[in-house]
Amino acid sequence: MNTPLFRQMMKVNAKGISNYAVGSAFYMLLMFWLYPSIAENSADLNDMVESLPAGLVNAFGFENGFGSMESFISGEYYGLILPLLLSIFSIMLSTQLMARLVDRGSMAYLLATPTTRGRVAFTQAAVLVCGLFVIVAVTTASGFAGSAWIIGGRYAFDASRFLLMNAVIFLLFFAISGLSFFFSSIVNDEKRALSISGAVTIGMFSLDLLGKISGSVEWLRYLSAFSLFRPADIASGGGQIAVACVLLPLIGLLGFAAGIAAFRRRDLPL
Amino acid sequence: MLKVQGLTKTYPGGRGIADVTFEVERGEVFGFLGPNGAGKSTTIRHIMGFMKPDRGSVAIGGLDVWKHQSEVQKLVGYLPGEIAFLDGMTGRGFLEFVARMQRVDSRVKRDLLIERLQFDADTPIRKMSKGMKQKVGIVAAFMHDPAVIVLDEPTSGLDPLMQQLFIELVLEEKAKGTTFLMSSHSFPEIERTCDRAAIIKDGRIVAVNNMHELQSMQRKVIEILFEKEADAVAFMGAEGVHAESRDGSRVRAAVQGDYDALIREAAKYRIRSLDVAVQNLEDVFMHYYDRKGASR
Repeated sequence: MNTPLFRQMMKVNAKGISNYAVGSAFYMLLMFWLYPSIAENSADLNDMVESLPAGLVNAFGFENGFGSMESFISGEYYGLILPLLLSIFSIMLSTQLMARLVDRGSMAYLLATPTTRGRVAFTQAAVLVCGLFVIVAVTTASGFAGSAWIIGGRYAFDASRFLLMNAVIFLLFFAISGLSFFFSSIVNDEKRALSISGAVTIGMFSLDLLGKISGSVEWLRYLSAFSLFRPADIASGGGQIAVACVLLPLIGLLGFAAGIAAFRRRDLPL
Repeated sequence: MLKVQGLTKTYPGGRGIADVTFEVERGEVFGFLGPNGAGKSTTIRHIMGFMKPDRGSVAIGGLDVWKHQSEVQKLVGYLPGEIAFLDGMTGRGFLEFVARMQRVDSRVKRDLLIERLQFDADTPIRKMSKGMKQKVGIVAAFMHDPAVIVLDEPTSGLDPLMQQLFIELVLEEKAKGTTFLMSSHSFPEIERTCDRAAIIKDGRIVAVNNMHELQSMQRKVIEILFEKEADAVAFMGAEGVHAESRDGSRVRAAVQGDYDALIREAAKYRIRSLDVAVQNLEDVFMHYYDRKGASR
């Protein structure tokens, strides 16, 4: 870890990270603000959901209905929009932290100082994980703030399930960032890194979505890390959380370690 | 201080460098001359540890640059050939960041250099001209008093006045015992600062010579405009004159070392004007390259 580099990188990316965090927090609060009016019609909405095709309901994670705040939020936000937001964040930042610096040549300046490639790559990985953590932490905090200010005990809100949901989505994107970081570390071209990470991440996301929509291709889901995060299951108190909590950190660590190791050894066109 | 030994790297396209070997002593300014694409930058990438050689090694201060990145980089200041700084910073912000990475308190020297190079360090980098970025790069390479400074085409983008100032800076640092490696495709740039120079062509070192030897090897084309065409014709045929062509009363003659003979011959006639043609590196050392090519 190289402290000056870490601080500089956090400073440069602070604006981007806080934009994602603030956006996510606003969306979360909006959901909390909407919830009371939906909860009143929850019975009607549940009827409506039942009339929809099961695949569609699964895709959006509405299968738990609208009975509790966390099941509402799991469908409305954690099921689709937050994963998409964090995917974009992971792909963009991992590319900017490694491949862009190599592509533009500024990496030369970092490596021409008394540090090693391993430490530079590790620091950049730490910046990526840190940014991710900040966004998830702010999102979580905004959830608690929303429940305190807006819901205020009028509707059910299970804090531990909500926390768990956030912990697992953090682990999921730790894994996704690890993979994107790996691609960003082995490629010389910024656009190429962006397209490979994007294809892999969005590809996995789509496989998971397809598997959810159609029961006949459910096996597709098991090719995708996204299947390890099932917010609707967590909200209803189930889900294979133990598996996710082992596999996701493992995928992430492998990605980061392989990225750092590859970056240490390869030729750089600087 | 800097030892390059049998450095070989072949790129997938077949280009690259082969068996590059030279040594730079402490306090020496060493030039690295070659036309574009000859392998200068590839060699420098290896010296900076950005690439792993297929064969051979580079050592700075006795340490292998690939194996001891961190220790070696303490000794080195580097000016890349193509300068790219980090986004969203001012010149001063960038220099402060580099100083923190270098772990040396270099504020005094940094401000001194900024003042001498006369640029506004508080300009955002994305608004800087090429020359201005070059100046920021020079400050970053010099400010922490490294033992070895590696410069890739250092004066590109600088105006003649700044080029002169840059040469002064190099000579001052040299007097303090700093070792330099400077690549260039222009002979005059190297001529004024370097003690010795290596000439590289097609990925191979064709010569390592001291500056005096290189100067005598250098081939110049001199254009003389005679007052009378008859004089020009007579001059063409004179002994010791290697005339290349004549256009009316204008004669182009090549000289390599034997300036005296040419001047004596030319002094016999009335001359209206005299020019030394600007040449690229291949022409300057054409004779040398040819001999090497024939013997290979």
